Amino acid sequence: MLAQQLLNALFLGAVYALFALGYTLIFGVLDILNLAHAAIYMIAAFAAYSLVADGLPLPLAAGLAIVMAGVIGILLDRVAFAPLRRRNAGTLVPLISSIGVAIVIGAIARAVYGIDERHFVEGGLDATPIHLGPVTFTSLEAIILATAIGLMFGLSYVLRATVLGRNIRAVAQDRVAAALLGVDLERTIAATFFIASALGGAAGILTGLEYNAVSLDLGSQIELKGLAVIILGGMGSITGAVIGGFAIGIVETLAVAYGLSAWRDALTFGVMFLILVARPAGIFGARALRSA
Amino acid sequence: MNLGTFYAQHSRLIDQIGINALLALSLSVSLQAGQLALAQAAFAGIAAYVSAIAAMQFGFPLAAAIAVAIAAAALAAAALAYPVRKLRGIFLAIATIGFGEIVRVVANNVDITGGAEGLSGIPNDVTTPIIYGALLLVALALVALARTKFALAVKLTREDENAARGVGVDVGMVRFASLVIGGAIAGLAGALYAHAFYFLTPTDFGFARMEQILVWCVIGGVTSPAGAVVGAVLLSILPEVIRPLADYRELTSGLILLGVILFVPNGLSMLWAKRGV
Amino acid sequence: MKFVARVALVSAAMIALAVPAGAAATKGPAAGKTVTVGVIADVTGSAAVYGTMQKNAYDLATADAAAGIIDAGGATLSFNVQDAASDGAQVVNLMQKFTTDGTTPLVLGPTLSGEAFKAFPLAKAANFPVIGTSTTAEGVTAIGPTVFRVSLAESQAIPPTVAKVQSIWHGKNVAIIYGDDNAFTKTDGALFQREFEKSGATVVDTETFHIGDKDFQAQLTRIASKKPDIIAIGGLFPEATKIIEQAGKLGIKAHMVGGNGLNSTAMYATAGPAAQGVVVGAAWFIGNKYTGNEAFVKRFKAKYGSLPDQFAAQAYAAAQVVAALVKSGATTKDEFSAGLRGLRIVQTVLGPIAFDSNRDVKAAPVVLQIVKDGFAYLQ
Repeated sequence: MLAQQLLNALFLGAVYALFALGYTLIFGVLDILNLAHAAIYMIAAFAAYSLVADGLPLPLAAGLAIVMAGVIGILLDRVAFAPLRRRNAGTLVPLISSIGVAIVIGAIARAVYGIDERHFVEGGLDATPIHLGPVTFTSLEAIILATAIGLMFGLSYVLRATVLGRNIRAVAQDRVAAALLGVDLERTIAATFFIASALGGAAGILTGLEYNAVSLDLGSQIELKGLAVIILGGMGSITGAVIGGFAIGIVETLAVAYGLSAWRDALTFGVMFLILVARPAGIFGARALRSA
Repeated sequence: MNLGTFYAQHSRLIDQIGINALLALSLSVSLQAGQLALAQAAFAGIAAYVSAIAAMQFGFPLAAAIAVAIAAAALAAAALAYPVRKLRGIFLAIATIGFGEIVRVVANNVDITGGAEGLSGIPNDVTTPIIYGALLLVALALVALARTKFALAVKLTREDENAARGVGVDVGMVRFASLVIGGAIAGLAGALYAHAFYFLTPTDFGFARMEQILVWCVIGGVTSPAGAVVGAVLLSILPEVIRPLADYRELTSGLILLGVILFVPNGLSMLWAKRGV
Repeated sequence: MKFVARVALVSAAMIALAVPAGAAATKGPAAGKTVTVGVIADVTGSAAVYGTMQKNAYDLATADAAAGIIDAGGATLSFNVQDAASDGAQVVNLMQKFTTDGTTPLVLGPTLSGEAFKAFPLAKAANFPVIGTSTTAEGVTAIGPTVFRVSLAESQAIPPTVAKVQSIWHGKNVAIIYGDDNAFTKTDGALFQREFEKSGATVVDTETFHIGDKDFQAQLTRIASKKPDIIAIGGLFPEATKIIEQAGKLGIKAHMVGGNGLNSTAMYATAGPAAQGVVVGAAWFIGNKYTGNEAFVKRFKAKYGSLPDQFAAQAYAAAQVVAALVKSGATTKDEFSAGLRGLRIVQTVLGPIAFDSNRDVKAAPVVLQIVKDGFAYLQ
């Protein structure tokens, strides 16, 4: 049974990690906690659902929805963060404006999609279980896991091997120096928001597929859990977010497996608290975004 | 409509505003020291339950129950201050949010708090004059505090911790004191809430509430206690004022929040603050 | 040609004006008066899924009252639905507003039991009648002598349901999974435990989840290892559908049973093949043959594009009770209180409604089973 539980943790953690990547990317580059991230996660899932409902094949619908999420990310920055950057408003004020945007996105989602839960496949998923020794999973779950891991590798590649990635890392390290060295700040920041929000949107779509359910409250729990993930892994660290995601997945799953389900959140945040106290930089704190 | 009828129709909202103002002040104390310590809602929650249990299980009279509750909240703040002493900015915020979640889970899972079903039947003996009397006392105390050297130390700590240390400010003590004072005020607010609204659930003082308090303070002005109160008052009234908008309330409050913060990023207090402060 | 058409048009108009709108044109003592009942519902916020169903039912009731489908004895009856946004503070403020505005004679709602504990004491203090339609926790009606409830409590629904399934399934090992952060779901868990143990079964595993959870594989993996015959679900349908679907995915073959919270079309529409055979102990069967129920379901579907669920049905039933009281002359809060106290039977979409001495509804649950594309009575 432990093997199955660890596999459960793997699937859970993959989505947490993908979500946290967006959080940590924006924090690493701008020192801002973007509380609209969970709202983008949610609305991307709805967008993918409605494209599928309109007849588009799933991969195309998902791709379009991910791009849409990225665009919303750029708009988010233009509307809620950039004006404050110009006025040197610090890091607390953007947090509040991101809350405002989150509320607006939620209101729009409710107006457009209503309060009912939507389903990618009506009548339930017909995913045939695959039995591999002591564990059972479905092909859909395997695809979701592979997609999540693929996106993480994609991000790592972009950051490590492209000009854009280098620029992002430079801005994360020292914004002023990067500007002096000729990096186009605003374009780099916009690109960062695009990537971060696209990843968040991807996480939302994968969550919607995994549970065949898209609802307004899709992001209600992951918003706070994402914080625990990035703390565990280290703020601004990509690898950290990934490890952190799986670590939180394991903490949660094992909590349930050992009968402590009611204390699950306390354990997750307890672990996070301990890391903050003992090693505030997180597990990978030394290797921050600056070195990806 | 005369004052009496107005009160009869809005007394609950008036009480909520008073308590929210206290909560805003409790966070403002921390923010003025430059600490993004988001545990005030949890401290208020702890105090609310302690006060209720003291009154219901142990027969404490109101004043004693509130006193014990404030002490409990201050103690929790003191206990929290130690492990987070090295944390700054967003890290401190997240640590304190985590603390809040742990408190919520404990309240949900133990029997003495009534768990998820909630705690009902709390003696309903806190009235509007008591709430506003407490608010006035706290406001006066903070005004008095603002004239002391401590307040100067707080301001220096907020602006530049290293410089403050350089001129001899005990930054650790400033941070500790601001957290505990904030915790005590939050405790007062929580205890008053328990006896004014007679029913508690674990989510009453969870992250949603903490987020609300933070929004009040930032909208009002992070470094201005008066601003915090103004933020609390305006945003507490907002849902009722825009009630005629029905389906568009949610969208409107999001847009208002966004609009205010983009136009006056340093808070509404900038509208009346002296220039060059 | 034109002349004939014009005559026809004028005659039609005169006929339309002469015949009163709608079928029943009875005249009660309140004829000609206007009664606007207050409703507190969570149309937005975390409980929006339930509150919107309630709002839709009340809006339909207002339309039906205007059209005479709901007979208010000639009075103009409408339901003023106010959104509390799943915020306890707003629930309290709305209750205060309604109980002091001088024109509202009665309040229906709020949506959640916790909100009821916050708001009903205000009604008690004002000697004001309130009817809960979805607030099924212990102790709600005990708050005051003007607090009534038309929704079947879990403590009324679960015991007969367990007795019935045990008479058919004879389960020996039972696993229970319930929500630990919600009064309603927690009550379900405790009741299932008590009732299954009473029936002689052994509870081999108890698991919990949080409202809003999507992933139950960890809990279900543990349940599967204990090999129960029956899994009892103490939850609401958003979580229950996922529990059932994921149980199917993991290959769990136990019977499954739930309470009121599972009474929604979502159960068979989304939980997949694993939902077939799940038993639900509920307060309302969408296909019941009580007076007006079939028509209600049809009208609801026509107006909103989706079928009503139990939240909607219970709301509509409360509206029907209110109409019956208005028909017998109640227009003020004291008249409504007296009317509720002395209520004999009212025919509603839930069936015949009467109150017991605790002001709870006198009714038995219907034990349903999920079949191919809907619910059916459990045989």
